[in-house]
Amino acid sequence: MPGTPFKARVRQALLNPTLRGALERFAADYVVAREQVFAGRDFEGLRTKIASIKSAAALQLRELGEEFARQVTLRGGKVFFARDAASAREYVLKVAKEHGVTRVVKSKSFATEEIQLNEYLAEHGIVSYETDLAEWILQLMPGERPSHMVMPAIHLPKEEVAKVFSRHKGRPVEPDIKTMVRIAREELRDKFLTAGLGITGANIAVAETGTIILFTNEGNARLATTLPPVHIAVVGYEKLVPRIKDVLPILEALPRSGTAQPITSYVTMITGPVPVGGVEGTALKEFHVVLLDNGRLEMARDPVFREALQCIRCAACTNVCPVFQLVSGQVYGFVYSGGIGSILTAFFNSVEQAADPQSLCIGCRRCTEVCPAKINIPDLVLELRKRIAREHGMPFSYRLALRGVVAKPKVMQGVLALGKKLQRPVTGGQPFIRSLPGPFKGWTEGRSLPALSSRPLRERIRDLEKAPVEPRLTAAFYAGCVIDYVYPEIGEAIFRVLQGAGVQVRFPLDQGCCGAPALYTGDIETALKLARWNIEVLERASTGVIITACPTCAVALKHKLPSLLSGEPTWYERALDIAAKVKDFNELVQEMEVSFPGFSTGERIKITYHDSCHYKRHLGLAQVAREVLKRHKGVELVEMQESDRCCGFGGSYTLKYPEISQALLERKLRRILESGARIVVTDCPGCLVQLRGGLDKTSSPVLAKHTAEILAAGQDLR
Amino acid sequence: MVREDLVESFCRHAKAMGALTTKVKDVQRMKNEILEFLKPRGQRVAVAVSPLLKSADLEAALKEAGFEVETSGAWFAREADSGIVEFDLGVAETGTLVHDATDLYKRLASMLPLNCVAVLPANRIVRDMTQAFEYYLGQKTWPGYLALVTGPSRTADIERSLTIGVHGPECLLIVLVEEGEGSNAGDSL
Repeated sequence: MPGTPFKARVRQALLNPTLRGALERFAADYVVAREQVFAGRDFEGLRTKIASIKSAAALQLRELGEEFARQVTLRGGKVFFARDAASAREYVLKVAKEHGVTRVVKSKSFATEEIQLNEYLAEHGIVSYETDLAEWILQLMPGERPSHMVMPAIHLPKEEVAKVFSRHKGRPVEPDIKTMVRIAREELRDKFLTAGLGITGANIAVAETGTIILFTNEGNARLATTLPPVHIAVVGYEKLVPRIKDVLPILEALPRSGTAQPITSYVTMITGPVPVGGVEGTALKEFHVVLLDNGRLEMARDPVFREALQCIRCAACTNVCPVFQLVSGQVYGFVYSGGIGSILTAFFNSVEQAADPQSLCIGCRRCTEVCPAKINIPDLVLELRKRIAREHGMPFSYRLALRGVVAKPKVMQGVLALGKKLQRPVTGGQPFIRSLPGPFKGWTEGRSLPALSSRPLRERIRDLEKAPVEPRLTAAFYAGCVIDYVYPEIGEAIFRVLQGAGVQVRFPLDQGCCGAPALYTGDIETALKLARWNIEVLERASTGVIITACPTCAVALKHKLPSLLSGEPTWYERALDIAAKVKDFNELVQEMEVSFPGFSTGERIKITYHDSCHYKRHLGLAQVAREVLKRHKGVELVEMQESDRCCGFGGSYTLKYPEISQALLERKLRRILESGARIVVTDCPGCLVQLRGGLDKTSSPVLAKHTAEILAAGQDLR
Repeated sequence: MVREDLVESFCRHAKAMGALTTKVKDVQRMKNEILEFLKPRGQRVAVAVSPLLKSADLEAALKEAGFEVETSGAWFAREADSGIVEFDLGVAETGTLVHDATDLYKRLASMLPLNCVAVLPANRIVRDMTQAFEYYLGQKTWPGYLALVTGPSRTADIERSLTIGVHGPECLLIVLVEEGEGSNAGDSL
């Protein structure tokens, strides 16, 4: 494994059991609590409303900003339009200096972190006190990074916090949370009462009324906006919504999505200056808003990435992200973490700085189920990956593999045929590669890799096609590389089941890779080449149906072909024709109402089902698979916990981040064992590579099978 | 939803969010409840004067019971043990109190002391946030400082362990008054 500072950070985080434990416990509780707090509510309706408000706002940010400024001014406040971080910082400093401010109280704000305000003010002799408890703790620990966007100190055990407080107070502080909270209250109260300036962000800004809205639980934003005589709110353009009523759905969704609370303790809506107290009696506060662009308006002009401006910063996406739970926000490196964070970083910082963070997305799409603004984060990450590959190129090894081999189906067939022969020293004739030498050692830690089959599916076709069939239907079978070269027995099972049901199955020998590996590493050139190749091959097969048994291939053929070729009218039409014919194996079995008598021994076997990410969240076939399995009389389906949690394969991801992949696999294997099933079934050959590899490495008696293998088995399974 | 259901739902949700709630028949009983609550919680009380509290002559009752009462001044509520504030509305769906807190004393009395007594006429409870927003949209201008308060001040920043009373009150008592001066205004809801 080549060691970059980023990968070193990943490894370090994975080796930190306190961090992992805290995040995993939170993630487990969050899922349950979120479900409860949304119970009886129309989440889909709610998020559709938010998406429509925010996407419309993203199209008119400049106008909304102007209207907002007009309203703030009418109410007696001031608005500064900040083009970039530097101008925002300078404005804040100017206001602070005008008032002779030496102390600032701050309420948690991403925007001020983004512009590195505290550091800048400190350089000019102004001390900023973070007043959110977690932020204050981190401020007392120079060099410590926030681990989570909503709960930045979630990784710190109370004993650690007590140490920090003891050092700060110069006396021993007991690790008692109540006591420590009281210390924070007393110490920060003094800061609130003596600060000359309060700085906040805003969760929402309303153009119609010039209102900024702050959500807090501790009440620090209330004090920061009530006690000091001057208030500056640093607000990103994307926080703007047109009307006051647009606040309602966000108010309903934000606390529920962020911390699974029906509402935060305080929601504060500030419109213009209000009275503040002083020794000479009350006076009107000075109220400033810094409306921050810093890449946002460019983002709003981008037809693809504009979608990310819909984000309401609830962090629900990271709360359900299996990778985030392992590495935490500390690894992502910038203010905004997780998949959405990498997109924001690309625009607010730079594409270079987003390159490493974005690569952590495994594409499991769990975030798309919970995002209250309906942002398709994994697809945006892919778009970003594409741009990075286009502008900065790919590593040499990727280019060689993708462009030199995968992009040329004939070459690929040759390379795989050669590989089959050359692998003997590492497989020893076994179906697994259990260890690899030198720099590739990490690839086989915790999981054996599969060996290439000694006889790929393409070499078995002639025999398979001989079986007599009374055809009700003719279908082409698009196997994909894994079934063809690694698990041809799945292909055989598919032939047997479908032929038994009266389907004449054809196997187009020229079929090439579906292009997914290229697509998911951002190599559009290769993906396009393969798209055209496969369209021609599948057109020549001239069947009404094209069967797939790999969800990654299915997604590529059904969804990616048309979108890749959308700019070329004739190719686009052809892609749509092919896409319309693609059908998953289970879908066809279900449609044809095939039934399976059970095992010849008459026994019932406990089977548990692993939902492949693409199969469930891209193809939406999770229920179909279960119904199909129940058609087999010998199957007793038992559900495992977290059945739809990623197994950690993710294609080339497993080679890029073997430690993350392995950690995800360990959890999956634990869930499989807990289910008590003898066999784990899935519909994704990629997941099978991971599951079989893990089960082999741990010498588990549990088998991993494709649904087709279960259906084809008339006898007890081995 | 009929009035009783709104009150019941409001109280249930407010309690779930950590507030104490009590219902009283009239302002006399309101004063008794408030005095009972304040007794073990320190001598100094900051009152944000409002029509209902004034007509109830709460200040006099507090002084008579031996409390030191503040109603204004540069140091208002800074050293007080408790604050008393009247709210405009209650939201049944979440147990949320809402008030136009443009008035500085309303803000300070509800923010600074460790204990907060929120007084609310029972007929001013609305079903949901939409109705609360409509109430303020019906006014001439949108309030300068509109505050939504649900339960006491809380944090879960250390080990996700829920701890109350961070920067705001650690104890929030909501007194719902069934009859009183505020009831007429409630008819416009």
